[in-house]
Amino acid sequence: MDIRTLKDRLFESAEKEGFESCEIYYQSGSSFTVSIYKGNIEKYQSSENGGFCFRGLYKGNMGYYFSEALDIDADKAVKTAKENAEVITTKDREFIYKGDKEYPSVNVYNAALENVSAEQKIQAALSIEKYANEYDSRITVNRSMITSGDSYVYICNTEGLEVSEKGNHILAYAEVMAKDGEDTREKGEIWIGTDISELNEKELAESACKKALSALGAKSIPGGALKTVIENETFADILSCFLNSFIAENVQKGFSLLKDKKGDRIASDIVTITDDPLMEGGYATTAFDGEGVASCRKTIVEKGILKTYLYNLKSANADGVRSTGNGYKGSFRATVSTAPTNFYIEKGSKSKEEAISSIEYGVYINDVAGLHSGTNSISGDFSLAAEGFLIENGSITRSVDQITIAGNFYEILKNIDTVCSDLKFNSSAIGSPTVVINGIEVSGE
Amino acid sequence: MISEKTVQNVLAAAVSTGAGFAEIFVENNCKSNIAVTNGIVDKANSGMDKGCGIRIINGERVIYVYTNNMSEDNLIRIAKEGAAAIKGDTEHNITVFNRLGISNAHPVAVMPDTVEKKRIVDFLMQGHSRAMAYDSLITQTGLSYLDSVQNVLIANTEGLWAEDERVRTRISVSVVASNESEKQTGYFGPGALQGFEFCEDLDIEAIADEAARCAVTMLKAENCPSGKMPVVMGNGFGGVIFHEACGHGLEAAAISKRASVFTDKIGEKIASDKVTAIDDGTMPNQWGSMNIDDEGTPCRKNVLIEKGVLKTYMTDRYNGGIIGMAPSGNSRRESYKLVPVSRMTNTYIAAGTDKREDIIADTEYGLYAKYMGGGSVNPASGDFNFAVNEAYIIRNGKICEPVRGATLIGKGSVVLKNIDRVSDDLALAEGMCGASSGSIPVCVGQPMLRVQNITVGGRG
Repeated sequence: MDIRTLKDRLFESAEKEGFESCEIYYQSGSSFTVSIYKGNIEKYQSSENGGFCFRGLYKGNMGYYFSEALDIDADKAVKTAKENAEVITTKDREFIYKGDKEYPSVNVYNAALENVSAEQKIQAALSIEKYANEYDSRITVNRSMITSGDSYVYICNTEGLEVSEKGNHILAYAEVMAKDGEDTREKGEIWIGTDISELNEKELAESACKKALSALGAKSIPGGALKTVIENETFADILSCFLNSFIAENVQKGFSLLKDKKGDRIASDIVTITDDPLMEGGYATTAFDGEGVASCRKTIVEKGILKTYLYNLKSANADGVRSTGNGYKGSFRATVSTAPTNFYIEKGSKSKEEAISSIEYGVYINDVAGLHSGTNSISGDFSLAAEGFLIENGSITRSVDQITIAGNFYEILKNIDTVCSDLKFNSSAIGSPTVVINGIEVSGE
Repeated sequence: MISEKTVQNVLAAAVSTGAGFAEIFVENNCKSNIAVTNGIVDKANSGMDKGCGIRIINGERVIYVYTNNMSEDNLIRIAKEGAAAIKGDTEHNITVFNRLGISNAHPVAVMPDTVEKKRIVDFLMQGHSRAMAYDSLITQTGLSYLDSVQNVLIANTEGLWAEDERVRTRISVSVVASNESEKQTGYFGPGALQGFEFCEDLDIEAIADEAARCAVTMLKAENCPSGKMPVVMGNGFGGVIFHEACGHGLEAAAISKRASVFTDKIGEKIASDKVTAIDDGTMPNQWGSMNIDDEGTPCRKNVLIEKGVLKTYMTDRYNGGIIGMAPSGNSRRESYKLVPVSRMTNTYIAAGTDKREDIIADTEYGLYAKYMGGGSVNPASGDFNFAVNEAYIIRNGKICEPVRGATLIGKGSVVLKNIDRVSDDLALAEGMCGASSGSIPVCVGQPMLRVQNITVGGRG
């Protein structure tokens, strides 16, 4: 059964069951991955996959049902959604959106990528491995990989909304191990784009190798409250762990310390944070959100002042504001939640090197471990195993590991002393420049 | 789920270019979940995942294709597409399947789809009310229920035909305590390879009390001091240390790449005499158990480390093949979308002979990590880190003030040798483990044990 036929049957059945309005969210896609190990194809995968979510308002409550299979009994699916709606007791209203008058146009699909053959992707992965092997004799390559994929989203409802979007991307990844005696260090580097001709295999491979080699010989340092430089992607990863507190639904439920802070200073005045779903080349760029609301760029924190939370239709209704277009479906299976899109700290003017040169004694952190366990997204407390370099008299002097950095995210935001100019995004579309923070608690030997 | 004839034709297409082996994994997984936040039912969802993955292996080359368009024509098409990346010379004759006789070791009394949603809501609400009543500092609760009924069929070119049904039920209880400026969370997530009888038998009020107590205790705690010190780890979820710091390094996927510190160490002493470690996928109705693994190999009990000596690795067909070891019943995957690899099931450090009281009494100064949080490990170096959810300072052999924000960091291979006390109070705890073949249910476990010396990260 195709999705449009199924949609008609579900809508028909829903009307009979007494649903006031309903919607179908369909997602499909295909992907291809090749991974190389020692010159051989170690992993070769291709897939095609899809599924839908039916949801509808029954006596004011939203009921959900999802399925990967399209050849299902539409009546049974609608009945299950009704059973789910019947147990909901929340007073927060969810909405079937009538749609916006206009939608922005975004550039997330590159037709030329469809014509890149499996063989071309294999060759790219092979050359990443070759460049890494050639770079230094202490390097072995754990994996070099190319992944490409395309996706299609279609939302249609009984209130008149009908939108769709097609996107594709290609990703390259190298993971290498540097070994010197018993000392081994693993590091990776990633590239994401929509045009394979923009992939520089040599640069990617060498960047991974440099990261691993520079970590060799690392040892701990004495602890203390130190001036700490956190590299762009690493700080983006840390920021990712605390994004939940910017989400209106968490604020409303009391799960965020940013409650009642709109208009207040929550960060140092050199910190401006933007959420921009329309960003050219962003990994989370899209014309509409998971509820069909048109995307728009917004400032979340302006010079340290919290301007807005991230809203979907439900949380916006509860606060009496407009949705910020951050309604999110993690997959077609998921109920609607809220998520940032391309969410980043705006870059400053100083280069990373300038920032380091003004530090007499401190640490430069370029990797942290334990982000999912060592952070408390509610309290903001974190304690993370970290590595990087020692900074002495304005220069990097040696590599450091076996230390932890500990602190509180909300205090750190206020203690950001410098925001550098090297904005970079992690693979979850969260971005940050390298930042300098006054006095993070470092524990070491 | 799919006819024998179709399976034969698809496998034939998969080895049409002479691959040495092909396998089909067909899955149908019905799931549902309900969430109650602050006593309000704000989420109820259910549905079905259904699809099929085809794996083709020739030497060290692995091809994987999957789809949820299950028509025979489409399956043959994608099998041929995958086969095109292989040039081999193996001939197969797939005419008869040997149906693997499975006697179900994990009985289910109440299938999830027979349970009224209202009953589940009432059950969760019971936990919510109890937690709120615990202390005036309790400000929020989040409880959720999920179940899944996963049916799998695995068939391969060696004639294997195996089917299994895995019924799982899990509850999560999260309780937040707050004062003017801070919040602390207590969390438990019990689950089982069982139906709704798991909830009927579960004392949700006792779990709510314990989560609330943990949150309140941590809210009143001072920051943990940092430095090297002896650490006593509590039983149950404390076993996450072994899971992360050692278990992942004993998976054949890491060994075959020589990316583990335990490579080539079978027969060697890798841990203190006190340490015997086991992975057992056969434990009746345990969260991490199954009748067969996701390659159709029956699950079994594998002694990984015996009195400090490394005995074996956990293997899957492919990685086991590279290192010359037979599959151990550990090949797992989250769904048909992922290639199965060696993973843990229920993994624990076996009970020792020490007594809890003695371990504490013999510790002059150190940290008592009562409940561990999650953690991760770098398999190449064995560097790990763990969060501690509830911790206390031990002073003069007595458990003293609670401390919060502690992290344990170190190297798995070093910590294993530094375990100097193991008590007799083994307990298991449920979790989800993430790796290349997805997020899968596992149990971790251990008795209370002591590590002589470990780096504690904290803010105090």
